[in-house]
Amino acid sequence: MTMSTLALSELLGSTVYDSSGTAKGRVHEVALAPQEDRCKIAVLIVKTSTGNRLLPIGAVSTINGGVRASSALGDWVLADGAEGLLLLSRDLLDQQVIDVHGRKVVRVNDVDFLQETALGRPLLKVGGVDVGARGAIRRLLKGVVPASALRALLQRVPPREIPWDFVDLIETDPARRVKLKISHERLAKLHPADIADIIEDLAPDEREAVFETLDEGVAADAMEELEPKVQKAVVESLDNDRAADIVEEMEPDAAADLLADLDEDRTAEILVQMQPEERQEVTELLEFRENTAAGRMTTEYIALPVTSTTNDAIDAMRTFEGRMENMSTIFLIDSKGTLVGAVPLAKIVLAPLATPMLGLAQEPLISSHEDAKDKEFAELFDKYNLLTLPVIDHGNRLKGVITPDDVINMLRGKL
Amino acid sequence: MRFLRRWKIQILVFFAVVGPGFITANVDNDAGGIFTYSAAGAQFGHTLLWTMIPITVALIVVQEMCARMGAVTGKGLSDLIREEFGLRITFLMMLGILITNFGNIIAEFAGIAGSMELFGISKYYSVPVCAVIVWLIVVKGQYKSVEKVFLAASFFYITYIFAGVLAKPAWIEALMATVKPPQLAAFKQDSYLYMVIGVVGTTIAPWMQFYLQSSIVEKGVTRRQYKTSQWDVIVGCIFTDVVAWFIIVACAATLFVHGHHEIRDAADAAQALRPLAGDYAYILFSLGLFNASLFAASILPLSTAYTVCEGLGFESGVGKKFSEAPAFYWLYTILIAAGAIVILIPGLPLVKITVLSQVVNGAVLPFVLIFMLLLINKKELMGEFVNKPVFNVIAWSTTVIMIVLTLLLVYGTVHGGAG
Repeated sequence: MTMSTLALSELLGSTVYDSSGTAKGRVHEVALAPQEDRCKIAVLIVKTSTGNRLLPIGAVSTINGGVRASSALGDWVLADGAEGLLLLSRDLLDQQVIDVHGRKVVRVNDVDFLQETALGRPLLKVGGVDVGARGAIRRLLKGVVPASALRALLQRVPPREIPWDFVDLIETDPARRVKLKISHERLAKLHPADIADIIEDLAPDEREAVFETLDEGVAADAMEELEPKVQKAVVESLDNDRAADIVEEMEPDAAADLLADLDEDRTAEILVQMQPEERQEVTELLEFRENTAAGRMTTEYIALPVTSTTNDAIDAMRTFEGRMENMSTIFLIDSKGTLVGAVPLAKIVLAPLATPMLGLAQEPLISSHEDAKDKEFAELFDKYNLLTLPVIDHGNRLKGVITPDDVINMLRGKL
Repeated sequence: MRFLRRWKIQILVFFAVVGPGFITANVDNDAGGIFTYSAAGAQFGHTLLWTMIPITVALIVVQEMCARMGAVTGKGLSDLIREEFGLRITFLMMLGILITNFGNIIAEFAGIAGSMELFGISKYYSVPVCAVIVWLIVVKGQYKSVEKVFLAASFFYITYIFAGVLAKPAWIEALMATVKPPQLAAFKQDSYLYMVIGVVGTTIAPWMQFYLQSSIVEKGVTRRQYKTSQWDVIVGCIFTDVVAWFIIVACAATLFVHGHHEIRDAADAAQALRPLAGDYAYILFSLGLFNASLFAASILPLSTAYTVCEGLGFESGVGKKFSEAPAFYWLYTILIAAGAIVILIPGLPLVKITVLSQVVNGAVLPFVLIFMLLLINKKELMGEFVNKPVFNVIAWSTTVIMIVLTLLLVYGTVHGGAG
């Protein structure tokens, strides 16, 4: 058994002779039938004077120096459509594929075949795709310089070939994906961050295609790693059912952030499709919308009854387990939880012991509503030079506190 | 303070709305544009104003096609050419684009040299320094923040509108010349033909189509948000051509009427702003020209490197390291270095070189348009977003007209010119 290599671009256009030895046409396409074999070339499509015809590789006796068939032209059926065939020139040449090993998207310059002879007949297998200069030069100079000179030149160009096993095809037509057995098993094995990088390099339709094929768990992991802009675009392109399946598998806070970026209608449609348990978790988080005061506030703060004195305040601070900066203001509430006053830490320190807190309260009392937008409470901070800002609900009850670090985080996000 | 804060907010709002279309249109008024329009006004007065309306229509149609292709396919123009027409055609196209864009890069450095010479700074200092600045801006990843400064500064072009007004041009005559069809006899003059091709080439430059489509893709504009981009493109195109009209009118009213028909350097072109700024005209003009040239000089080499590398399948992107995308970075570096070196040749006629580069733009344009038209009419690529017949008619006419004009010019040049 002998083995040699052959490139797709060398095979395309070569003359095809029938069993009588007369030239009948030229090689127009080289095709795989992935349902039968992922590597072995199944048929050549020959352009003849009577239309394009399928020449099964089994009927080819030699390939080098022109393709010679062992059957007559009449035996080659007319190629109408190419159902179930992967057409290497149309589907692969000049198109983008995923290099699973190199973890990136590459463009195909040529396809390399391994040629074996088994039982006196040639057998062609796809060895890999050429993504380097060698394939490019071969195609550019084919027919321009003599074949022998070209071969000699190409010997000197180092190959950049991706083995066929590491090539993942991108097909945007779902029906064709099934027929050609295109899946992303190998891609799915990569780290989610690498999958996300690859997806970001693709066009929108191709991203959608990959996300429709990936297993939900993998798709969810990859989705979390995508840039928010791409994330949103991908979810918008998927149907609700598929989007819900993926969102379910995501971390709840990531899922809530993602859904919060979509239209409200779309968010609702996706939520309806989700499992009840995951839906509830995400819905709760969604209620505290990210861009409102409620989404930014902390619920760790000190609130005392209106009648308290500075002594009570100092005691409360000693037992407070929250962060230090959350003590910079002590809040006063009545029995219903309504916010009545806010006392800065400095005033408590400067006042004599046992001073009623209400007398130290700041005037005016500045607060923000739960639903207030980022911009509104940021402006309050700016205008009144606040250290803390209490957040209240519709009944004026104290719900939480915004501190300067929350504002800084929000502003940095907008830079 | 309050005023300042409000003003800042308004600027921010403006930049949030300004999209790729407006930016592309603004870069279009680069050194090549300013010199070519100035030369057109100085040399031919109002007789080239008729080109402005058809050019604007063609520009809107062509730019809209790019924006649509970007939004629908999510791919750049060179990617699409490669996928649909194969490696060999792509290679030739990229070679053509490389040469044409290189001419434009030279023009930007000519703008830098010319503007700085008005301040008495020799090109032997200004050009190398600016080349290094441009190179660093991109390699250090600062382009996005610098872009805003350029964009704000490019409002300098409005000064041409004021200058045009203050020059007290013959309004009626200028407006009539804008709507009056050209006299065919004028085309017998090679220099006129040359300038028509240059004006079209500088306004509808080939590089813009690649740049705009990539920007649309980069911004993530999809089929659904595409309407906004359409407006962005239309407003940008109209703005750029209104400025062009005023540059021509300003130069016609100042240079042409005083018999100053040839613009040799930036100092000549600056005369057009004299009615507005008197002796300060130099400062105004040179700052504006400098900004425009530097802006375009930081976009063109980058856009060219992207276009070529994407078409030929080399790794590309400013997010990558030099070792990861060597072809991309080398191409980028060489374009800047070589462009700057050409300008350093002693005694080089800067304005002539610049106008020539824009004429080459005009000659290459139809080839780009042919590919765009073939692509955008492919149903399997564009679906329901294929070109409407009106768009096809306008774009094909532009293509044919540019081919005919170029052939006439070549014929005229070969046969010694009809004079």
